[in-house]
Amino acid sequence: MTAAGDILLRLAAWLLLAPLLPGVINKVKAWVAGRRGPPVLQLYYDLAKLWRKGVVLSTAVSPAHVLGPAVAWVALTGAALLLPVGQAGAAFSFRGDALVFVYLLAFARFSIALAALDTGSAFEGMGVAREVSYAVLAEAAIIAALLTLCVQSGSVSLATMLAPSAGAGAALLAAGLFGVLLAENCRVPFDDPNTHLELTMVHEVMVLDHSGPPLAAILHGASLKLLIFAVLLAEAVLPLGKLALLPAIGALVASVLAVAVVTGLVESLLARLAFRRVPLLLTTSFLLCLFALLVAWKGGVP
Amino acid sequence: MTPGWWLLIAGAGLVAGILGAFNSPRLWLAATLTGAGAAFAAAVEMLAGGMTWDWRPAFVIGGEALHLQLDGLSAFFLILLAVLGGAGTLYSSGYWSDKAHPDSAPPGRAWWNGLLLNMGFVLVCANGLHFLIAWEIFTVCAYFLITRERQRPAARAAGWLYLASSHVAMMFLFAFFALLAARTGSWELGPLRDHAGLAPLFWLALIGFGLKAGIFPLHIWLPSAHANAPSHVSAMLSGMALKMGIYGLMRFTGWLPTPHLAGWVVAALGVVSAVLGVAFALGQHDLKRLLAYHSVENIGIILIGLGFAMIAVAHGHAAWGQLALAGALLHVWNHGLFKALLFLGAGSVLHATGTREMSRLGGLWRAMPWTASLFALGATAIAGLPPLNGFVSEWLVYLGLFDAVSAHGSAGIAAILAAVSLGVTGALALACFVKVCGVVFLGLPRRELAEHVHECGWRMRLPMLALGAACVAIGLAPILFWPALAMAAAAWDPALAVALPSAPLVTLGAFHLALAAVVILAAAFLWRRVRHNGVGRAGTWDCGYAAPTPRMQYTAGSFAGIITGWFAWILRPQRHAHLPGDIFPAHADFAEHTPETVLEDVVEPAGSLVLRFSAAVRRLQHGRVQSYIFYLLLGLAALALIAVMGGAK
Repeated sequence: MTAAGDILLRLAAWLLLAPLLPGVINKVKAWVAGRRGPPVLQLYYDLAKLWRKGVVLSTAVSPAHVLGPAVAWVALTGAALLLPVGQAGAAFSFRGDALVFVYLLAFARFSIALAALDTGSAFEGMGVAREVSYAVLAEAAIIAALLTLCVQSGSVSLATMLAPSAGAGAALLAAGLFGVLLAENCRVPFDDPNTHLELTMVHEVMVLDHSGPPLAAILHGASLKLLIFAVLLAEAVLPLGKLALLPAIGALVASVLAVAVVTGLVESLLARLAFRRVPLLLTTSFLLCLFALLVAWKGGVP
Repeated sequence: MTPGWWLLIAGAGLVAGILGAFNSPRLWLAATLTGAGAAFAAAVEMLAGGMTWDWRPAFVIGGEALHLQLDGLSAFFLILLAVLGGAGTLYSSGYWSDKAHPDSAPPGRAWWNGLLLNMGFVLVCANGLHFLIAWEIFTVCAYFLITRERQRPAARAAGWLYLASSHVAMMFLFAFFALLAARTGSWELGPLRDHAGLAPLFWLALIGFGLKAGIFPLHIWLPSAHANAPSHVSAMLSGMALKMGIYGLMRFTGWLPTPHLAGWVVAALGVVSAVLGVAFALGQHDLKRLLAYHSVENIGIILIGLGFAMIAVAHGHAAWGQLALAGALLHVWNHGLFKALLFLGAGSVLHATGTREMSRLGGLWRAMPWTASLFALGATAIAGLPPLNGFVSEWLVYLGLFDAVSAHGSAGIAAILAAVSLGVTGALALACFVKVCGVVFLGLPRRELAEHVHECGWRMRLPMLALGAACVAIGLAPILFWPALAMAAAAWDPALAVALPSAPLVTLGAFHLALAAVVILAAAFLWRRVRHNGVGRAGTWDCGYAAPTPRMQYTAGSFAGIITGWFAWILRPQRHAHLPGDIFPAHADFAEHTPETVLEDVVEPAGSLVLRFSAAVRRLQHGRVQSYIFYLLLGLAALALIAVMGGAK
């Protein structure tokens, strides 16, 4: 397989599979609540419909309102392509790509935030303020998690860092990264994707004024981000790089589905937190990652 | 031509500019731009050739023979000076024109050239006495530039604070150079790494240069000076004058031995400056003051890199130190470029609207599309986002820190703290620049702006375009600038001359290029799709509220509220609120203000204590002759007592 074909194949897999995850989560939530729920493929239908729809733009907006979602979508796709798949490695892999990964996620946040502020709405302002503030703690947790993996593997490249398991601190790391996953993807208990009150939203309120293809880009990007975090969590904990390619892919799919199911269960069983408690929970995630780092540091080979 | 000839042209151009400053603005512009171009050529010539230029003419200034030297480190800083000097010169010809400022523009041009000339001279001179003289002159030139608008009390106060703290720094530098000269027996500067006895002098240099660089908590002069200076001067102060402090630190940590703790202290100061600098920036409502605090943050990032490089040298030249140093050096350039771009953009906003208060602005992208786009580019760069230059240097520092962690030494624990702090700093800076771009350029105008809000002219736009292009170039092709970095790193420590790992930069550059290309493609694609599907227009969704006004938009203060709440322990924000109370609330208002904690809670109380003590001592001098005679008698008695006691022994 040529390099270009390899990249295209991975790209297709990431882009096509990503909208499945929110469907699975919603199905789990419906199942716990005793409802039938929307079809698993609902997001695909939504995206197809939005892509064909016209756009209503606020009279206040600049071109950034349309360009921001495109930039964010590209940044998230780039971050996805930096993640390895078992022994096959990543589409792009180089020394230091772990940090490019973190900053691509930040770039996506930056573009979406500016596109949201562009409307001049106080609701959007609130959402952006919450998003960028909580991301400070989430970023600290991700850096601590990456340092843990770096201590484990002695490398700063995701392909090598994610190959072995996280060792003795795996449970701590998994708990910490799961907290970050919930926060960064606006799930309960940090945010409620189903809420109907603008005042209490984080992510949803940032996209209130988007419509049509830009909204499709945002929704698809959000599902991509969820998949990215689920894959990162699975690969950080499991030694997928040590398995043969097919079992590794099987294990990856199974664990990503497991993450989705657990997310759905968390959403069904927990209430969302008051905003003043959100930083505490995120700090807990950061501390869990930091403890995982200390475990790795103590147990690591010099 | 050798660098010497270029430097001669540069000096001659700047001096000719001073002569033309009062009568012929065009001659001044041409001469100063020529001078900046020649200085750029000299530095490039040196960095491309790799030969240190050394010149000892027979001139004697102040009893010391002139000795000029252009090595990798000074050429590296000289390039930045030349670029910012050229950009600021062209910008000021449109921004601070004779027509708008007939009294202050001509002397301003002369002081500007004096500033450039003396900063350049500091970079190339290799004699302690001449270094001090040029340092003092450029400090004073900067004072007169900061107080261009001296009819405003705020500008006078800012200038005074700058002058006072610069001279406190000067005292430490006097002590540093004098002790250095006393211990080596000569004012000549050069590598003296074997003289272990010189190590304690580092602390004097740290305070002296640190005050100039604006390290937290020595940054007290920085916010008000940057806010009140004309914007091209703020750009030069932040882009270059702070870097002179960094140059001093790098120069003398490279040339002199350092104490055991030096690297740790520098790295710790870097972490504190980075995190608290950006926290204070979030609390600001004044656009230029906010940018000034971001200088503290970026100086912190540079110091983290430098500190870990020093720790690495103490640990037997570990490879991670080279990466950290390369990151610090590149960040010197990067911060100079994007911060100058942002200050020039802020200057255009100020020029067009007449206010630096962010709460009065909004929606400027309509009137000023160029300024808004270039400011957004600078904001992306300073937030350290790929694919621009700020990310490249932060990435190099990160790589150094991660390698230090995986090397598992005693430096590893410190590197963990530094890496997490750097991550937090990056996320805070992102929040801050989302706030600035959103509040100033997006949305709707918060107040009725004057009719004359306009895009800036080409003389102001061209320098911003050039600086923006430099940011993009370093981001997309970092490898092109690697030889200059390697040369500067080798001048800092010759042991670093070999085996600097440049390979990842090629891949990073390629990835950045691909990312930029795909971003443009995707944006164009989505844009076409939106046009294809058809666009309708409607008001922003406001929950069905009947009478929306632009004043309902989120303000800068409420945007930063969550984060400033986390840092309230040091920011100590002061809130004055009259909340609506009765059944029929009539009047309500809310004001918030972030004080200068270090200045108002530490320096001013200490200063007033000194003043009170002095006032008490002054009571001894009251003009009554009888008491003075009594003092004389007391003194004589004391002397006699000492003489008698001494004689008894």
